[in-house]
Amino acid sequence: MTDEDDRRTHPAWDTPRRLLHHRLFVLGLMLFAIVAIAAILAPWIAPTDPNKLAMRFKFRPPSEEFLFGTDNFGRSLWSRVIWGARLSMLIGSSVVAINAVAGTLIGALAGYFRWLDNGLMRVNDALMAFPAVLLAIAVTAVLGPSIADVIIALGLVYTPRTARIVRASVIVLREMEYVQAAIAAGAGHGRILRRHILPNAMAPLIVQLSFLFAVAVLTEATLSFLGVGAVPPTPTWGNIMAEGRQYISDAPWIIAIPGLALMITVLGLNLLGDGLRDVLDPRLRIQP
Amino acid sequence: MLGVLIRRVLGALPVLAIVSLITFGMIHMIPGDPAAAIAGMSATAEQIANIRTDLGLDQPVLDQLWHWYANLAHGDLGRSLLLGIPVMTATLQRLPVTLALSAYALVLTLVLGLGSGIVAALKRNTWIDQAAMVLAMIGISLPNFYLGLLMIILFAVDLGWLPTGGYVPLWQNPIGWLATSTMPAISLALLLAGLLARITRSTMLEVLRQDYIRTANAKGLPRRQVVLKHALANALIPITTVVGIIISLLISGAVVTETLFSIPGIGQLLTQAVLNRDYPMVQGGLLLTTALLVLINIGIDVCYALLDPRIRYDG
Amino acid sequence: MKHEFLASLLLFGLASAANAEPFKCPHVGGDLVFGQEANINTLDQMASATISTRNIAMNIYETLMTRDENNNPILELASAMTEAPDHLTFTFKLRPNIVFHNGKKMTSADVVASFDRYAKVGNQRSILNNVKGWDAPDAETFVIHMKVAQPTFIESLSSFSVPIVIIPAEERDVPAMQLTKPIGTGPFELVESVPGSFVKLKRYDGYQPNTAFEQKTGFGGYKQACLDTVTFRIVTEPGARVAGLKTGELQAVEDLPTKSVPDLKKDPNITILPLLNWWIQIAIPNTSAPPTDNVTFRRAVQAALDMDEIMDAASDGNYKLNVGFQYPNQPDYTDAGKATYNLKDPALAKKLLAESGYHNEPVVLLTDKDYAPMYNSALVMQQELQAVGINAQMKVVDWPTSVQMSQVSDTSWNFFFTGWGTQPALGALATMQFLADPNAVYRPKGDKGDPELIAAWNDMNNLPEAKDRQAAYAKMQQITLEKVFAIPFGSLTKVQGTRANVKGFVPFRIPRMSNVWFSN
Repeated sequence: MTDEDDRRTHPAWDTPRRLLHHRLFVLGLMLFAIVAIAAILAPWIAPTDPNKLAMRFKFRPPSEEFLFGTDNFGRSLWSRVIWGARLSMLIGSSVVAINAVAGTLIGALAGYFRWLDNGLMRVNDALMAFPAVLLAIAVTAVLGPSIADVIIALGLVYTPRTARIVRASVIVLREMEYVQAAIAAGAGHGRILRRHILPNAMAPLIVQLSFLFAVAVLTEATLSFLGVGAVPPTPTWGNIMAEGRQYISDAPWIIAIPGLALMITVLGLNLLGDGLRDVLDPRLRIQP
Repeated sequence: MLGVLIRRVLGALPVLAIVSLITFGMIHMIPGDPAAAIAGMSATAEQIANIRTDLGLDQPVLDQLWHWYANLAHGDLGRSLLLGIPVMTATLQRLPVTLALSAYALVLTLVLGLGSGIVAALKRNTWIDQAAMVLAMIGISLPNFYLGLLMIILFAVDLGWLPTGGYVPLWQNPIGWLATSTMPAISLALLLAGLLARITRSTMLEVLRQDYIRTANAKGLPRRQVVLKHALANALIPITTVVGIIISLLISGAVVTETLFSIPGIGQLLTQAVLNRDYPMVQGGLLLTTALLVLINIGIDVCYALLDPRIRYDG
Repeated sequence: MKHEFLASLLLFGLASAANAEPFKCPHVGGDLVFGQEANINTLDQMASATISTRNIAMNIYETLMTRDENNNPILELASAMTEAPDHLTFTFKLRPNIVFHNGKKMTSADVVASFDRYAKVGNQRSILNNVKGWDAPDAETFVIHMKVAQPTFIESLSSFSVPIVIIPAEERDVPAMQLTKPIGTGPFELVESVPGSFVKLKRYDGYQPNTAFEQKTGFGGYKQACLDTVTFRIVTEPGARVAGLKTGELQAVEDLPTKSVPDLKKDPNITILPLLNWWIQIAIPNTSAPPTDNVTFRRAVQAALDMDEIMDAASDGNYKLNVGFQYPNQPDYTDAGKATYNLKDPALAKKLLAESGYHNEPVVLLTDKDYAPMYNSALVMQQELQAVGINAQMKVVDWPTSVQMSQVSDTSWNFFFTGWGTQPALGALATMQFLADPNAVYRPKGDKGDPELIAAWNDMNNLPEAKDRQAAYAKMQQITLEKVFAIPFGSLTKVQGTRANVKGFVPFRIPRMSNVWFSN
């Protein structure tokens, strides 16, 4: 048996070990972990209410008293950025969850049942034809400007891409000998999908989902920055940067710091994704 | 070849039909009153109501849909509520702006991306390679509006070399156009150049391993000839597919960049249209933009087919 | 109003007889580029209430009657107006030798056609509700016949909100919003319009100034076009307007952000021109939805508010406290009800709160994120209410959605944040219209307004003597403030700016390009 067959029929228990030996993966994991842990610990490390106005403290640059400085309403930027991290984590993970479920469902159905493929993919392609940001703006406008609605909107915008990836794997896997054998033996479709096809389609999906987390966080920031995401005063990183934009010459830290946080998160996730791809599915690998 | 092209275009039509339906449905589901947006802040209820009637917004939705399709059939996309001019005119006015900016960004992307990707592949595992890949990584992780804001802080506010925003058309004043388009183009290009660099490097490495390259090297052909003629030519095929994705990302990225730098392009036009409930503009504009993207993708597929004789007859 | 108008007419007549020195351009020539903040969707003035349209169109068009610098009605295209003793007929004598931009001489037939069109497409055609009809007995005379006597008719007719501009008779049947090439009688004519980009005007050489005046005043007066061309360029980004003024690319700018003013003031090439009383920042309660349906609760809210803190945040410090719905420089101004204004008394608020039986129900502050003053004032008000124990929550949407929501009486909002700009500038009548039936902004239950308030409103409209109408207005303002049907926070100052070599530019409701010249 070749390495590839080996990986297919045995769950890769040695995958975590190989991941942890991948330098860039570990770096990415650490960067992401910093943000994620800060988000989880928000109520303890950032106890000040991120929305509390304190006009007499407005426009303070970063100092000992205000680690990240204050904004035009005197709100602590440290609080706002940390609670913003919470929101980013929430949004990223929710969009990933939606995509994992909906994308897999649609992709699997389209790839497995040929008669469903055409119809599903037409609608899929139609959704994918829209520039992502514009579609997100329109859907958010329809649903409303709450965090939940932004999550649904982003889920909707990116599911077609995930579905395509799952579908591609399923189509290839469906033709595999052992799957054909199972069909000939009379196994039910559900069982075949669950036991033979989906587990082996996971690798590209997982890679895609890790990049998707980054894209979701980034797109949400873009939406808030444009003023079409979660409404102020919700402290998403995009909102903080949008509100800080008019004070760009007086108080550049209002923009600089959340942007940096955003960049660290996205960089960490991209490195993570690269590492996962290298280990899980070398066919997709960017050469070492 | 022609057959492939025709089939592709025909295949795109149902997609566009669905796109138009989705667009119409979505924009009409957005709460809020376009008449209120147009009338402005101080308007009374009567004034808003009159505007609504004047613009035909109080008709039943299905009637509006029917009218839109009927007009669409003879090429009339309707009239922008906000700008008062035909949708087609507004789109054609703004399109060259976005195209010029995208072209500038695309040139930067290709030069930076292909350049660093090729160099990284040739100098594999040296510090040049590492540095290039780190930069590429940072490029794809840096949010483009953040980069834009940082550039504004540095080059416009602090140094005063470039304006903070605005736009000078290319044909009016090329220098002014360069001045107003450089920061937006860079903020668009960096992410895409990073993507392109990584993929170029990977593809080049893949190709350089191939037997025919080793043969060419063994034959003693100059390195440069090997690289340019054989490796690059074969690497172009997968790279072309990426360019298709890049163009689509350019339009997406243009939305933010144009808003940030106050550039009157298609991205900004459509964003404002959605925000102001300019129904005809969104419907027509999104349809046109999507159609354009579909056409571009078909074009990319054609290029792909031309470059790779193996797939030419597969359609 | 009426007596004041006749008095001002007399005064101007005397003045022009005694001192006939009309304005003369110290320097003729030059091209001015004006940075306008909002897009225009049409130049069809009759069909539009938008400020950005009026900015441009009212340099091109003129009307039968308009308002002067202090908001009094004055004649513009008419040289005389007589009101019949029974108040049912108004006869206008038109000024002679007025020529349209297309070379055609203006006659009463054009005025008739203009009124005909306005009655069909006019955005505020309800001002003609009490009019039976109009006709032209001869080429220089135009007569309006009323169904019933309306003491406030001249005030409405001269309103600049959606003016009845005089257009050539050929354009009578052009549908609404489709008059794309305006032809008027004003000092400037249209050269080119590129929507979303700019509108260019040039001096109209055949312009006939109104010799009953010496200077421009309000929307009328003696106007002269000293500039060769004026380009209204759409510059929606505040930062870009500031930059344009600094580099001289823009010679005048409609609106400058307050933050930029200290820096600009230091520049000797720039003149800062504050325009006081641009709009009243205001919050309107929903009296159909609990707990704002309870007047004691509303009074508790009113008592808790610190207007300085709110207006400071709303305007970045550029404001004036203001009692009521008119400004001190206006003839209608009254401070009736001032005992309710700017109380900033948390103890009183808590006492009233307890009296009202409030039990921590959510109070929704409906505001929008498109206008910073609306958003900022809501944010500060939320804090001030929370400080006295009111469960105030923000609902932030965008402007079109907030307007839509505010017009519905359901329970999704308790306070709606907006600004009243044009109406207070027009006068007390136009402003109090917001509080009248039907569709009063405070959403009274069953759409039936407070009887006391409505009685005062009717008096404001129907009492024959001007001073009685003014007294009725004072009463209406007092009732509104005491029963908290509206909470005006204060007035916002708009800051305009020009290059130092631009002279004669006096900020007003529109950027008036007449009697403006370059000093070099």
